[in-house]
Amino acid sequence: MSDKRIVVIGGGLAGLMTTIRICEEGLPVDLVSFVPVKRSHSVCAQGGINAALDMQGKGDSPWEHFDDTVYGGDFLANQGPAKRMCEKAPEIVHMLDRMGLMFNRTPEGQLDVRAFGGAKQKRTAFAGATTGQQMIYALDEQVRRFEAAGQVKKWIGYDFQELIVDDTKTVRGVVVMNMNTMKLETLPATAVVIATGGPGYIYGKSTNSFINTGSVATACYLQGAKYANGEFIQIHPTAIPGSDKDRLMSESARGEGGRMWTYKDGKPWYFLEEMFPAYGNLVPRDIATRTIYDICINQGLGLDGENKVFLDLSFKDPDELDRKLGGIMEIYEKFVGDDPRKVPMKVFPSVHYSMGGMWVDAETDMTNINGLYAAGEVNYQYHGANRLGANSLLSCIYDGFVTGPAAVKYANEVKPASDYDALAEKFLGQSEKLFEQIYAMDGDENARKLHQEMAKWMTERMTVVRHNDKLEELEKKLVELRERWNHIGIADHSKVLNQEAIYVKDLQRMMELARVLTVSALHRNESRGAHYKPEFPNRDDENFLKTTIATVSEDGPKISYEEVDTSLIKPRARNYAVDKHATETEGEDK
Amino acid sequence: MAEKTVRLKIKRQLNADSSPFWEEFEIPYGPSMNVISCLVAIQENPVTRSGKKTTAVAWECSCLEEVCGACTMIINGKVRQACSALVDNIDQPIVLEPMTKFPVVRDLVVDRQRMFDNLKKVQAWVPVDGSFDMGPGPKLKESERAVHYELSKCMTCGCCLEVCPQFEKDNDFMGAQIISQVRLFNFHPTGAALKEDRLHSVMGKGGVAECGNAQNCVEACPKEIPLTTSIAEVGRQVTLQVMKDWFLK
Amino acid sequence: METVKDNSFFYRRLHSLLGIIPLGLFILEHFFTNSFAIHGATVFNEKIDFFATLPYLIVIELVFIFIPLLIHGIYGLYIVYTGQANQLQYGYYRNWMYLIQRVTGVILLFYIGWHVWTTRLSALLYGKEVSFEMMHKMLASPLVFWWMVVGVVCVAFHFANGIWSFSIVWGITIGPKAQKRMGYITMGLFVILAIVGVKALLAF
Repeated sequence: MSDKRIVVIGGGLAGLMTTIRICEEGLPVDLVSFVPVKRSHSVCAQGGINAALDMQGKGDSPWEHFDDTVYGGDFLANQGPAKRMCEKAPEIVHMLDRMGLMFNRTPEGQLDVRAFGGAKQKRTAFAGATTGQQMIYALDEQVRRFEAAGQVKKWIGYDFQELIVDDTKTVRGVVVMNMNTMKLETLPATAVVIATGGPGYIYGKSTNSFINTGSVATACYLQGAKYANGEFIQIHPTAIPGSDKDRLMSESARGEGGRMWTYKDGKPWYFLEEMFPAYGNLVPRDIATRTIYDICINQGLGLDGENKVFLDLSFKDPDELDRKLGGIMEIYEKFVGDDPRKVPMKVFPSVHYSMGGMWVDAETDMTNINGLYAAGEVNYQYHGANRLGANSLLSCIYDGFVTGPAAVKYANEVKPASDYDALAEKFLGQSEKLFEQIYAMDGDENARKLHQEMAKWMTERMTVVRHNDKLEELEKKLVELRERWNHIGIADHSKVLNQEAIYVKDLQRMMELARVLTVSALHRNESRGAHYKPEFPNRDDENFLKTTIATVSEDGPKISYEEVDTSLIKPRARNYAVDKHATETEGEDK
Repeated sequence: MAEKTVRLKIKRQLNADSSPFWEEFEIPYGPSMNVISCLVAIQENPVTRSGKKTTAVAWECSCLEEVCGACTMIINGKVRQACSALVDNIDQPIVLEPMTKFPVVRDLVVDRQRMFDNLKKVQAWVPVDGSFDMGPGPKLKESERAVHYELSKCMTCGCCLEVCPQFEKDNDFMGAQIISQVRLFNFHPTGAALKEDRLHSVMGKGGVAECGNAQNCVEACPKEIPLTTSIAEVGRQVTLQVMKDWFLK
Repeated sequence: METVKDNSFFYRRLHSLLGIIPLGLFILEHFFTNSFAIHGATVFNEKIDFFATLPYLIVIELVFIFIPLLIHGIYGLYIVYTGQANQLQYGYYRNWMYLIQRVTGVILLFYIGWHVWTTRLSALLYGKEVSFEMMHKMLASPLVFWWMVVGVVCVAFHFANGIWSFSIVWGITIGPKAQKRMGYITMGLFVILAIVGVKALLAF
């Protein structure tokens, strides 16, 4: 076997699919994961995966899917990659089906599909309401095959620290930490794939897990990787607020007919249906979220004066609900205590997904560091300014198809490092120094309290509505918090699974990334997709039809822009009150 | 009125080899709290009930929606997930202990690698030729799909093994988790290609025969997977396989 | 894929099978024959004579009773050893049944050892005659009587509940409903066998 090895960081859907593709192309993989891969955050994905299989003979096509994706993303998605993803989607769903994923079926035994936001066609294949979990299990099983055959080595319970990069800006390995022993180690790599998901934990409570710190992406950013479109954070319209996190109530609830309403003048008001007759409850997430936000915050029409509205499925057949939405029915019952088959669910928007992420090349998913790739939510491809529901699972898998072969091709061509050992030694020393610093921290600041402060500020100013003055204050606050980080005191000095030390390390990175997101938002003076500034309520294609690029510098993130690929579909006005094609002529006039 | 609090009693262990000890905590109560938010509160302020400074309790978690299995521990004597254990629904002091059938790493964190290794032993996968485009998968009857979807919801949390009187830290029994996966993959039209191998695996040491039919597994499974049905079904498959091995070979 | 080949599967299944065939069948026969005691000494002794004069009796006894008993008993003890009770923590009905099955099994090992010695081996070795009168004499002692009641009830339970497990082990009852139904049937069998057995004891 060749001495070339590819290191994949993250065992979620993108990481696993990439691993499979690399193995199929013949190179061995070191798969590094913070948690056993079956416990990755991908399990939280519920609703399904989009593919224009046209299972219902309504003339759906990959082009329609592509058009919905681009329109839904407010034309900020690079169209080349988005189109290729939509074209590959049917094949991907078939592959998962062949791997044994228990997709729901029609009476004939074919794949069943359901409706999702931002699309008029039913094209979402699903396995109950735990599609992400089922998908990760299917891929995990395939990776286990390669593991049994000796082609994959899993490093479970290992935490990524930093890249080993040489003078030619080429990645040569990674520094990781065995969390059980708190020992730092280096893994040599011909290429490295980052597949670590989103940064939701920056906001404290979100629909993300505590493990979604964005810490790995930030580490790469601090080592020179570009971070793109950071300002585009998706706020999911329907989540149930909790004491530890907010739990997602899948968009598929609306896809299966769920209706959103609240009381107005004492009567039920189906606000989405009234305001957006063409798409009704299935408007894209940014739109639903802004509407709910406006109803609760500005109009004060939340239920019982609280920030909540109804998501109603109680009129549906309970057996069908169990079969198609069992997973979320269970979550609501277990965590709220009410039966959503009988009473409407109470929901409110919550931070959910990052459209932005590490900048990657449109053809290969390679970042601006040679040999460093990014796949899945952690990169910025495909979704533009707003992601359509059920496109995230698709993009994770599709990224595996792009990244895997590209990384292998690169690995087969690249020249080996001149003096790897010395290089590895240097970076290992650097990481060791950071932990020495953390272990020695004895200041007065409480790391958890700093995080809460950051989360509160970020949630108030960097979610649904953004104002430039508030963003400026936020940036200052983040700089201050980052400084206060130096004065944290830690209580735990153990060398066994010291979660406090690891958390303190991640907190620093979350603060750095929060600043990237904020500065990116500050610079974009328009409203597009999930990014909404009342001072600039309209989309401004002339000045901002471009990708935000943040690069690390001594004085914080430096912002530049890059052209968006709009070669296939000409940008047109985005209006979900009418059919998406209705604005095509309008676009001509502009 | 004194502020409402939550009391916890936690079994701790500093590393794999040290002996366990108990610590009590009292933290402020909040609405819709679960055991996870209690543990987070302890991280914020790692001080015991008697005011002694200590370290935060280590525990594992990921999804917090009871779909990943990470935060499994023993809560008030019963094994379950910490995320779905709502403070309002359980008695105080809330007693937290690590699972007993797996080696402790630290505090409430245990090493469940054995469960993943066993999945390898029974080849719990569908042997597809590859990820390349080979057309649609096999047709499945929705009713059968629905049954087996339940099996594929297994999140490898280990509750079924924790409660099993036949599963020990140092024996070979694979337990309900694995047997149920054998049923799942034997059902799948392509997965069935490895059916005989799988059955022979569970006819070996630690296999299905070592089940004692206490049926605790099915009571404890948080996902309500019909584990005892799986055990009986695999029992039947094994019986038929024995006959095949005896009379057809 | 490598799996450790050993014979535990064979022994387990053998243990399970022997519990029903021949041991279970023998128990039915034994309870039934003893019930002739209800009709008094003459009828009972006639039946005993019939069995005592069976051709190849020792072989039949060895192959169909003693050897299976030994295997079932000794391997059963090993099975008991491999488990660890946790009823106090998880007091589910089936978990209790699991424990009772093992407890009755261990009791029966002693009981049957004693029973075989007193009513068969000592007869074989010392030429003592096994008859209605002998049983009558033995059971006159309350200690022996109650010991035999315990034995009879244990054997009735162990056999009946054993059928329930057997049906799962061999894949006869698969679903929870089928298993529950079998649970009712086997517990009914337990009660009937226990009554029949105790009535026979009372008849001596």
